[in-house]
Amino acid sequence: MSNAVEVRDLLYRAGKTFEIRDLTINVPTGSVYGFLGPNGSGKTTTIRLLLGLLRPERGRITILGGDVPKEAPRILARTGYVPESPHLYPMLTVDQLVRVHASFYPRWDPTWAGELQRTFRLDGGTRFSSLSKGEKGKLMMLLALAQRPELLILDEPTDGLDPVVRRDVLSALLDYVSQQNATVFISSHLIHELERICDWVGVMDRGHLVAELPMQSFKSGIKRLRVSNPPPLVGDTPFVILSREPGTGAAETWVVRGWQPPMTQYFDGVGAALREVVDLDLEEGFVELLNTFRQPQQ
Amino acid sequence: MFRTMLFTQWTWARNPLLVGTLAAFAIPVISVHTGDLASVDGFTVRTYLETLQTVGIAYPILAGVLGLVLALTAWGPDHRGRHVYALTLPLPRWQYALLRYTAGLTLLALPVIALWVAALVASATVRLPVGLSTYPTALATRFALAAVVAYSAFSAISAGTSRTAAYILGALMVLLVFQLTLTLADTGVDVVSPTFEAIFIWPGPLAVFSGRWMLVDV
Repeated sequence: MSNAVEVRDLLYRAGKTFEIRDLTINVPTGSVYGFLGPNGSGKTTTIRLLLGLLRPERGRITILGGDVPKEAPRILARTGYVPESPHLYPMLTVDQLVRVHASFYPRWDPTWAGELQRTFRLDGGTRFSSLSKGEKGKLMMLLALAQRPELLILDEPTDGLDPVVRRDVLSALLDYVSQQNATVFISSHLIHELERICDWVGVMDRGHLVAELPMQSFKSGIKRLRVSNPPPLVGDTPFVILSREPGTGAAETWVVRGWQPPMTQYFDGVGAALREVVDLDLEEGFVELLNTFRQPQQ
Repeated sequence: MFRTMLFTQWTWARNPLLVGTLAAFAIPVISVHTGDLASVDGFTVRTYLETLQTVGIAYPILAGVLGLVLALTAWGPDHRGRHVYALTLPLPRWQYALLRYTAGLTLLALPVIALWVAALVASATVRLPVGLSTYPTALATRFALAAVVAYSAFSAISAGTSRTAAYILGALMVLLVFQLTLTLADTGVDVVSPTFEAIFIWPGPLAVFSGRWMLVDV
């Protein structure tokens, strides 16, 4: 499987306090890759590095087979970008902005742009500065999609949008992806939203990529276990214990990563009993993963 | 792409540009009195030329202001968007900067043409005494050159970062404070005048702004 985005051993420093170090990312072609992380973890900085807006001190970025930043213009012609904060020219109207944007993209689809404008109910004569936040978000998505990109890089595209607008925007995005087999790299802290649409997930924290795996593995691999008579010292476990909390009586609650059903045998070997295995949703798994990264188990 | 650039810059700059174009048309027409000057005495002619010379200061000032306004309006919206939109467009940065620059130059043609036409009209409507001539094309050419120089200089500053602009302003402030200190210490040393002469007197980079700006001259 080829990768639409490949980042290798990237180093980037911003000031004296923040750095992205040893960043390696693989986004398979045709996947919807959710880029998760708390505020300030380096998601937007990483996206700016991918787009060639920032220059890394070390490392290699390859997008759609081209080197960034050397081949950035050629890559950007095939990439749709929705930034965290809309940055378009405030004095221009929607129609004018669409015309301006279209002139730079050889694969611009005016018919589809018109359809999206109608679907999103965007008034062509309204100035960008007069649009609501939801309308701005929809316009940004329109501009990104109507250029028929092979790759979409979306930085918190639905942040601050109401549920109806969010549904419209995501629906247009998923329609496009299903028709064109495009790759989507989407950053968000709306974890439940990503859970529905992504097939790969990468988690950033403090400038590091903490995890990168298929969404299904991420969701199914993190479990909450209710254990009776747990041993005081766990020894070598076939899974990673993310947290261990006392429960009622002689029971404990463990949160583990890398869980598979055959691992139940471990508990028999240490004289404990596994009472229950509970699936964690993405948000719980995300929080536990970050906790592990920040306070590694000894 | 060039039409797009031209359109955006026209949208942002059209109001001040139209005012500048009107001013460029008005200054030559108003400064050269229409009528018959062929039979007036020498004293009146000298007074007339002195008045023209005084009014002539308006040409370089207008050229400078137009250059400044067009440079600021060309890059201002990109600055406000922190250049994110411009830098994510699929073209090299040098090409984007060149497109913005040339679009601004194209817009500068409006006031230059207005001034040239007005100078031609003014020249056609005045009767001058022997020894005086009008120079409408030379004046318009010089105005165009001054506007281009101003636009280029302000574009270079405006297209850069705020830090670049701060360095330039800082250097000017240091020069002025240094001169003030020298003056207060009564040293008799003047660093400002030679600096300005080096810039504004030929072959200085802004020499086009200095000297006499006359539509009518000997």
